[in-house]
Amino acid sequence: MRIVIAEDLFLLREGLVRLLEAHDFEIVAAVGTAPELLEALLKHQPDVSIVDVRLPPTNTDDGLRAAIEARRQIPGLPVLVLSQYVEQLYARELLADQAGAVGYLLKDRVFNDDAFATAIRTVAKGGTVLDPEVVQKLLIKHTRTKPVSRLTPRELQVLALMAEGRSNAAIAQRLFITEKAVSKHAAGIFAKLDLAPSDDDNRRVLAVLAYLES
Amino acid sequence: MGTLVFVLAVAIWLAGMWVLWRRRGADIKAAFRDASSAIPEGIRSRGWGLLLVVLTLLAVAGGEKFLLGLGAAIVLVIFAPRVATRLLPWALIIYGCIGYLNAKDGFPSFSQYGLLGSSWTFVSPWQVPEAALYIVAGVWLFPRLDAVGYGTIKALFGRLRGGAGGQSTGGPAATYAPLLLPVLLVILELFGVDGWFGVGWWRPQFSFVADLVILAAGIVLVARVPERAVAAALAGIVILGTYGILLALFWPGVSGGFYGAMLVNSKSSAVVGGLLQGTALLSFAGWLAPRVYRKDAELAARAEQLTERVETLTQTRTDAVDTAVAELRRIERDLHDGAQARLVALGMSLQAAERLFATSPEAALALVSEAKESSSKALTELRDLVRGIYPPVLADRGLADAVRALALDTPLHTQTDIDLPAEIEMPVASAVYFAIAEILTNAVRHSGARTIKIQLSYAAIGMLRAQVTDDGAGGADPSQGTGLNGIERRLATFDGILAVNSPPGGPTIVVIEVPCALSSPKTSSC
Repeated sequence: MRIVIAEDLFLLREGLVRLLEAHDFEIVAAVGTAPELLEALLKHQPDVSIVDVRLPPTNTDDGLRAAIEARRQIPGLPVLVLSQYVEQLYARELLADQAGAVGYLLKDRVFNDDAFATAIRTVAKGGTVLDPEVVQKLLIKHTRTKPVSRLTPRELQVLALMAEGRSNAAIAQRLFITEKAVSKHAAGIFAKLDLAPSDDDNRRVLAVLAYLES
Repeated sequence: MGTLVFVLAVAIWLAGMWVLWRRRGADIKAAFRDASSAIPEGIRSRGWGLLLVVLTLLAVAGGEKFLLGLGAAIVLVIFAPRVATRLLPWALIIYGCIGYLNAKDGFPSFSQYGLLGSSWTFVSPWQVPEAALYIVAGVWLFPRLDAVGYGTIKALFGRLRGGAGGQSTGGPAATYAPLLLPVLLVILELFGVDGWFGVGWWRPQFSFVADLVILAAGIVLVARVPERAVAAALAGIVILGTYGILLALFWPGVSGGFYGAMLVNSKSSAVVGGLLQGTALLSFAGWLAPRVYRKDAELAARAEQLTERVETLTQTRTDAVDTAVAELRRIERDLHDGAQARLVALGMSLQAAERLFATSPEAALALVSEAKESSSKALTELRDLVRGIYPPVLADRGLADAVRALALDTPLHTQTDIDLPAEIEMPVASAVYFAIAEILTNAVRHSGARTIKIQLSYAAIGMLRAQVTDDGAGGADPSQGTGLNGIERRLATFDGILAVNSPPGGPTIVVIEVPCALSSPKTSSC
């Protein structure tokens, strides 16, 4: 799997390269600035890219902007954005094109390298991966007033994991229940939230997020 | 003998002029043709210096020993024109003073004073005006020709005023203060030796001391309290003017002597001198009075405003410094108890893992997991800390997007209506951001609101306005709770204000207004 990495801090960049090579990813480019990133994305069209939000030249959200620009030119180009902090505002901007193949995670998630590798593969396959912190904030906003408050605690857990972009299998594993039970919960959630049921994992995530962001 | 000296003097003067013309005729012509700064400094100096020669000529008419003076003046003008120029104001003032004192004494010591002044036998009534003209010309030229000692006098005067290095600190009214100086001279006339209301009956040496005391008091008054001096000058002018009118009406019942520039020794001179000068002085007083007192009133109002402003600034500065120190203290404590402690724990876990690695790999692995956990927690704590110092979105995108992000993070339905033409300057943006964050926190915690609306706009007069409205229960009391007080103090640093309108039953409206500048045109918006 061909990957482009954009990270301005040398230590972190090299660490990421080492970690990903250990998981048999092929690094086609590892860059340190936003213009280089945009160029690399358009040139290599990688299977997935891993992008730090804050990059030179202005050291603000240049990485995010470059990623969004690349996806504007090549719709659906898989991008996993990493950051020291996660913002719902940025999550919205990444998800706005509804094309999927987007991830947005805190940098610390790299510590769990297996989960990180899974997230990369999910994004590469066109899935959506959201940091639990973002999902939690999305849910808090709806638990007071919306139909979300009618969900059972278990359904809420499943909803959160769905919003993070996990598959039924992953959710089942995480909650120590069967995949069938997960499917049942999912159907319940979709019914209570008045969403059209979908078996496609990617569509399901987008539907859930669209609902939570409304 | 006298005639011979006079002829000789004129001959020497003509000779000097001839030499001057031969040597510097072209320059002098240039000097008189065009006095613009295009003329070299030395030539302009000679132009001015020539007046010194003329003046000296007038003076030497008094006696042969002054011929030396005339010669010196000519030499000076030719060879050291700059010095001659700088001496000219002094010569004018001294010549004027001599003429004035001489006229006052009443018996001439000049064979001829000036052009219209006294001869040996009588004191011309024109001598005082002419002398006064010389003094005025000398004083007028004093700073313009940078007379010898001008810098020193300026510095001394400045020190007397209490300003640093001769810097004038007087307000608008103070500019009228020098008017008092000529008035002082007239007052001396009235109160001094042989003066009217005066102390003439004193023994002369005491009256001389009295002169000096009055003069010194006047100068100190002008220098130290120019506003009062202006008032005093005004009063002096009115008194002198009134006296002139009285003189014209009642002479010799009201005694004459010198009144202003006139020697009053007949009914006609009393009427002419008294009426003319008295009317002139009173008119001048009538012109001056409203100006002086208006400026005085303006000055007083301005002083009051400034005092108030200084008090506000002192208070808000103290608050700002206190807040900043408290903030740093909080950050230090958070780092010390949080991230720093976690990193120490992490190091210790790794150290233990290293030791156990050979003997008990499983235990070592557990410790490494623990270390990973520690580093994660340290990161979370640092993240929260950074958010409290300067929120990332504010740094990345500026105030508008930061407030949008804030709305998204608020666990209530929150609308935003933001209209900023450009980026707000950083310090104000930060203060307003934290103010809105605090207001939102309050609304979520206490109001029981279902929806919140945030409006943010910038008025062209340079005012940033934020309004947070919630549909909660209302009844919020800004005097309770330190949160709003803290915001108010923080905003006060920027002259910003906070107003809360929260009737029981709601809605609660909180408005913030901060005067501020825009820092840069908006570059982009996603």
